[in-house]
Order: sequence, then structure tokens, then C-alpha cells
Amino acid sequence: MEENRLAPQGRTAPGLPGPFAVGTYARKLQGWMRERARVQLIGEVTGVGRSKVQAYFELRDAEGAVPCAIWLNDLEKAGLDGTGLRDGAEVVISGGLDYYPGGGQASPNFCFRATHVRLAGEGDLIARLEALRKQMRAEGLFELQKQLHRPVLPKAIGVVTAERGAARRDLLAALERRGWGGTVIWGFAPVQDRHAAPAIGMALQDLAARPEVEAIVVTRGGGSLADLWAFCDETLCRTVAMLRVPVVSAVGHERDSTLIDDVAAVACSTPTHAAEAAVPLDCLAARESLERCAVGLRRAGEGAIGTRSRHLGALARGPARALQRERGKLNQKIREIRAAAERGLAGRADSQRRIGTVVLERARRRAIGADMDKRRAALHRAAVTLRAHEPERTLERGYALVEGDGGEPLTSAAEAGAAERISLRFSDGRVRARPERDGAA
Amino acid sequence: MDESERDPSATAQPDSYEAAVERLEEIIDRLDSGQAGLRETLDLCGEGKQLVTYCAAELDEVGAGLKELRLDDLAARLESEAP
Repeated sequence: MEENRLAPQGRTAPGLPGPFAVGTYARKLQGWMRERARVQLIGEVTGVGRSKVQAYFELRDAEGAVPCAIWLNDLEKAGLDGTGLRDGAEVVISGGLDYYPGGGQASPNFCFRATHVRLAGEGDLIARLEALRKQMRAEGLFELQKQLHRPVLPKAIGVVTAERGAARRDLLAALERRGWGGTVIWGFAPVQDRHAAPAIGMALQDLAARPEVEAIVVTRGGGSLADLWAFCDETLCRTVAMLRVPVVSAVGHERDSTLIDDVAAVACSTPTHAAEAAVPLDCLAARESLERCAVGLRRAGEGAIGTRSRHLGALARGPARALQRERGKLNQKIREIRAAAERGLAGRADSQRRIGTVVLERARRRAIGADMDKRRAALHRAAVTLRAHEPERTLERGYALVEGDGGEPLTSAAEAGAAERISLRFSDGRVRARPERDGAA
Repeated sequence: MDESERDPSATAQPDSYEAAVERLEEIIDRLDSGQAGLRETLDLCGEGKQLVTYCAAELDEVGAGLKELRLDDLAARLESEAP
């Protein structure tokens, strides 16, 4: 200013129109601005203030801000005249540029004059989210965290969450179920409003700066996309992407997808899953597995020596066993030979015996043959002689035989005379008779 | 075998729990294959025992019970300790 006052007139830029009266210029500027195209803007409301006739606020996102104003009657028509228009609300406004040129005492003022305002809907936020997502993906920011090494057994983890949220309790319970008793460093931060994203970002950076922290969990419970909007903050998400420590995000429920899920090393649906991702090792199961390993190694060591010593023992006994085996074979051969010899002798004796029997039989038959003929002839003669002496032959010649009552032969007259009865036997039958006694007659 | 004759890499401290477990699995697979000779088996068993001891110590470090700290407290402590 000092310089301007002292500058000669010739120092102003030559060739430009004017100088004009500033009030005239201000009114022309107002007209020019009002002729600009009317548009819709979306952003977060901050710094809400009110006068008697209008409300002031800034509409802001990570890239910049615009001062805005809305007449109270327009705000009333939008149904946001109460606490609807509040800091942190995501809104869509319609309107155009406006300029208040001020006056002799009043200050000039530039603003975006909103004629309509509404709270941003899911669709508005999703559209903004998709645009951010596309941009950050194109920059490769989604891959940086995923390339970081995640230790399976961290000794210390950082957790960014609300101090009184249910997520904190769920996370602790899950860590304890895994038998993990390391260190949790809590970076408590608001998780819903316009202060949330910067506070979360600051906590993340502070945790990542601590050398003992090996993984960081960012978590909060479910809500609408507007509630979770802090986790779609571009600055926060760029911060996460650049951290050296892997970040596990568990924001909202399974169906919710925030931008921090895209940039994080791992995105989980619940704080419980986040705990499992931050400490991948189930310590209880690992202890059991380690004990089995130790037993297996001990057995392998003992077994290696035992097996080999048994094998060596077997090898040492080998020659004796081979000798025994050969001796057994030899004995068997001897038994077989002996048996064969015995079978041969017996066979020859039997053959000899059979030959002898045949010879003897032949000799016997030869010897018996002549004798038998003689005997047969003698026998025949004896039979003829006997037949000649049979009584029947005598009776056939006409003689009779006298027999007593009992069939006994009576060979004298005295015997016949003494018998009461007698029988006269002829060759063709018998005749009974009673002898006559002289004396009795 | 004399301890000093062993491969020094076999007795080196593992970088991490997962590296130790990975090496342990390799050792168990090799032993299970039955192809390791007596000397190799004894070496592997010795190395495996060291790894088991290491892993057990790592688990013990997170087995004493969960410890909770607040970032705010840590930051305040740092500030108070600063000269």
C-alpha cells in the first residue's frame, strides 16, 4: 500500500479501460455473476450461521469449499429450517453465483446463493464414492497396502475405533478367543461426523509411527452410507494407502463398502473378522500343533536310531542265520535221501518176495500135481471096494438083514429067537415078523 | 556329529514365526519321506527342536494376557519425557 501511494500516476498499467467508479463495477460484477449457469453442488456443510433473513455455511469436500447462503424461507420450504442444516450434514444444493456489492458502510460479499437444499441421498453419495474410487484405483492406491507383509503373529496391534463402541468389545473378545495376549494400543477417535476423518487419519499415522505396532485395525459398527461417510474421505484414504503398516478395515456391515475398504490391506465385514485378520494365527491351535511337531521330531530322531540299530542287528545275525538256513537245507536233503533209500530197499525186497512166491507156487504145483493123480486113483479104488462091501449090495443080491425092534442088527438065531419082534430088511423094503418058539408051541 | 561341523544356516535364528513354521513343515515333510539318511535325520531333528523352541517362545510372548494401552497416554508420556 505504501508503494501504491508513493507511485506516480504513470505506474498504472497503460492501455486498460477505466478507471471506473468501484460501485458501478461492483454492480456490474453482481449482474455478471448472476448470469452464470445455475448448478447443483454436493458436499459437507460446515460453519453454519444464521442472520435474521438467511443462513450461511460453507459447502466443503477434500478438494475445496464454496461460501453459501440460503434465504430462511427457502430453507423452510426444504424442511431443513430446524436443525436439518447442521455441521457435518451431506447436502445437495441448487443455485448460482451471487455477489453483494455492499454499500457505504456494508461490506461486499460473494456467495453461492442456494435456492433449494436437500440432504444428500444414498444415490448422491454412491455417485461421489464411485468417482473417487475410479480416480484412486487409476492412481494405483488400492494396491499399496496389499503389497505389505502381514505378520501371522504380531506382538502389538493398533486399533482405531470409537471409545464406547460395540466394535471395541467384539474385537477384544475375538482376540481372546484366539488365545492372543499381546498388546493393543487404542487410538480412539470419533467415527461419524466431519471431525471423524481427520481424527482417524491422525490416529492411524501416530500408530504407524510406533515401531512395535505390526498391524492396525480401523473399525466401527454399521450405519447408512452417510453415517459411514468419514471412511470415504479422500484425504483419509490417501493417508491409509501410504502407511507402512498394514491396515485392516472393518467398517459397517457386510453390504457396506467404503473407500477405506478399497485402500486397506484387508477389508473385513465385522470387528471379529478384523481381529482374525490382524492376528492370523490361532494361538491355541498353534500351541497344540507345535506340541505335535515336537513329539513327531522326537520320534523321528529316536526312530532313526532305533530302526537303524535293528537293521544293523539283523545284518549282524545274517551269517549265522544263513548258516542255519543252509544246515536246514542239508538236513532236509539227508532226510529225503534216506527216505528214498528206504523206499528203494523196500521195493526191491517186495519184488524179490513176489518172485519167490511165484517160483514156490510153481514148484508146489509141480510137486503136488503127480501125487494128486495117484491119490485120486487110490481113492477111487477104495471107494469101489467100500461100495462092494456095503450091506445094500448084499441085499441087492437077495440076502435079508434081521434087525431088532430098535433097528439093531440081530446076527444069530438065538438073538432073533429071543426078540419079541423082528424086522427083515430087504433091498426093496422091510417086513416085520414075530418069531415062533418051539417050547411055547 | 560335532556341533561345530553342522551347517550354520541350519541353526540360524528364523526371521519370524511364519518363517520358522514354514521351515518346520519342510523338515517334517523330509523326515516323513523316509529318504533322509541317519546323519541328515539327526541334523533335521536338532534344527526342528530349535525351531519348536523358538516358536514356543514367540507364542509365550503373546500368552501372558492381553495388555491395553492408549495412544493418548503414550503420546503424553513421550511429551513429558522430552527434554
